[in-house]
Amino acid sequence: MSDAPQHIVELRDVQLAFAEKKVLNGISLKVEPLDRLVIMGQSGSGKSTILRLILGILQPNAGEIFFKQFEISRLQRRKLQQVRSRIGMVYQYSALLSSRNVRDNIALPLEELTRKTRAEIDKIVDEKLELVGMQESKNQMPSELSGGMRKRVSLARALVMDPELILFDEPSAGLDPVISSVIDELIISLTERSKVTSVIVTHEMDSAFRIATRMAMLYQGEVIADAEPERLKKSDNPVVQQFLSGSTEGPILEGSKDAVATK
Amino acid sequence: MLMPDNASPSPGTETTLVRAPGDLLAGVGEKSRSMLLEVGSMFWFVIHTIGETLDRMRRGRVPFRAASFFRYTERAGVGSVPLVAMVSFFLGLTMALLTGYQLERFGTERLVPGLVAISFTRELGPLLTGIMLAARIGASYTAELGTMQVSEEVEAIEAMGIGPLRFLVAPRLLALFALTPCLSVISSVAAIFASALISRAYFNIAFIYFQDLVLHSLLIRDIVTGVLKSFMFGLLIGAIACYRGLTVKGGAAGVGNATTSSVVTAITVVIGFDTLFNIVYIVFFP
Repeated sequence: MSDAPQHIVELRDVQLAFAEKKVLNGISLKVEPLDRLVIMGQSGSGKSTILRLILGILQPNAGEIFFKQFEISRLQRRKLQQVRSRIGMVYQYSALLSSRNVRDNIALPLEELTRKTRAEIDKIVDEKLELVGMQESKNQMPSELSGGMRKRVSLARALVMDPELILFDEPSAGLDPVISSVIDELIISLTERSKVTSVIVTHEMDSAFRIATRMAMLYQGEVIADAEPERLKKSDNPVVQQFLSGSTEGPILEGSKDAVATK
Repeated sequence: MLMPDNASPSPGTETTLVRAPGDLLAGVGEKSRSMLLEVGSMFWFVIHTIGETLDRMRRGRVPFRAASFFRYTERAGVGSVPLVAMVSFFLGLTMALLTGYQLERFGTERLVPGLVAISFTRELGPLLTGIMLAARIGASYTAELGTMQVSEEVEAIEAMGIGPLRFLVAPRLLALFALTPCLSVISSVAAIFASALISRAYFNIAFIYFQDLVLHSLLIRDIVTGVLKSFMFGLLIGAIACYRGLTVKGGAAGVGNATTSSVVTAITVVIGFDTLFNIVYIVFFP
């Protein structure tokens, strides 16, 4: 722990395999305070896996993962739970508890992890709902909300413990372009206002360039590019270029089963 | 399979006969191995749930909200009363009627009240309750937790830093553990009441006399045995249902399979455990 990093998150040479299939092949990444790091990559390239590793839900086969000074993979369960409460996570499909209404969903971490009174909790919930513009839906059930609204509630839930880091798994998945821009702007304004660092996983290029202060590109289990958006655009790596342009011609599809469909 | 490379192109009965025992043995071995693994995981599942709950209490916090616990007791317990009472009532009727007609031939129909009372308090009440709870509550626990697992809700709870075992499993488990004995008492009462009606209507045993006969034949230890067993049944059903729910894989079909498997496993385990309990009880406390 003596060489504990100054970064919010650091991955050192992390490897992970699921039953023979190598997902991450020794990746290293650093997230500085107030970064909005966007991790890009093909579907199934292990982007969301990185978020689960940071939360300690998955264990790496090798390598180290730090959240501030804590080495996530070596923490005791109790300590890990404390660390997790300092990280917010917004899931791809929101993952709101369907049996609880919006208010109770957002209040859940406060009720379970703090000793705040009901009045204090209500105040915080109202505050967070206002941040995401969902005050009117306080008493609705998640099933009554649209995808974009659910994502906002999920964002409010992630913010409720005033985390130091928020992880977003495909924030614009399943949303129309307009709503997806709204969510992107919400992410930018909230992270700036609350002074929180974020890691966003996405494969939507427009959204990625809007949000990112830094971008990393994941390909075949390795980080092949890690730079500011402007520099990444000028990268001469053919994989990065193909990914950014969305072209079917290039190294990404070579030898892959998906290539058959393009011929 | 175990087909050798140089097997004849048209395998006759001989090869089948030779191959069958090996296959069968391998199959049995494989099945028992995975069953033992399951039993182990389920055991640790309960231990971890208890551990997480105690850990929380040691920090001076309530393990789960009373409101959430009572929601489960209401659903599992109060909601099951009509079903348990009705099924036990019918079974009590049938049992009194059938045994009564047999015993009448020997003029010993006054044994009916004791027979029904003992078999229900000690055996059938808990067993029937266990089977009905496995079907009614076990299935709903598995389906509910399975759906939460599939829609990443369980992972979201874990990611917030909340222990899912303590938050989701502990109140459900405790609700079944506490309420199964109550329901099995209701089951016994309903069956005894039914047999009182039959005894009065067909065998001319007045209610007062019926009561005497029951009290005379029933021992405290019959009642204690039944209640003890019910506690265990509740724990087993709850543990199996929650374990199956939280280990669901593969979307909607997975939830369906897990629910079926939860009910089947729970019923089998309840009956199996009952047999084992009876054997041990009779051998050690004759």
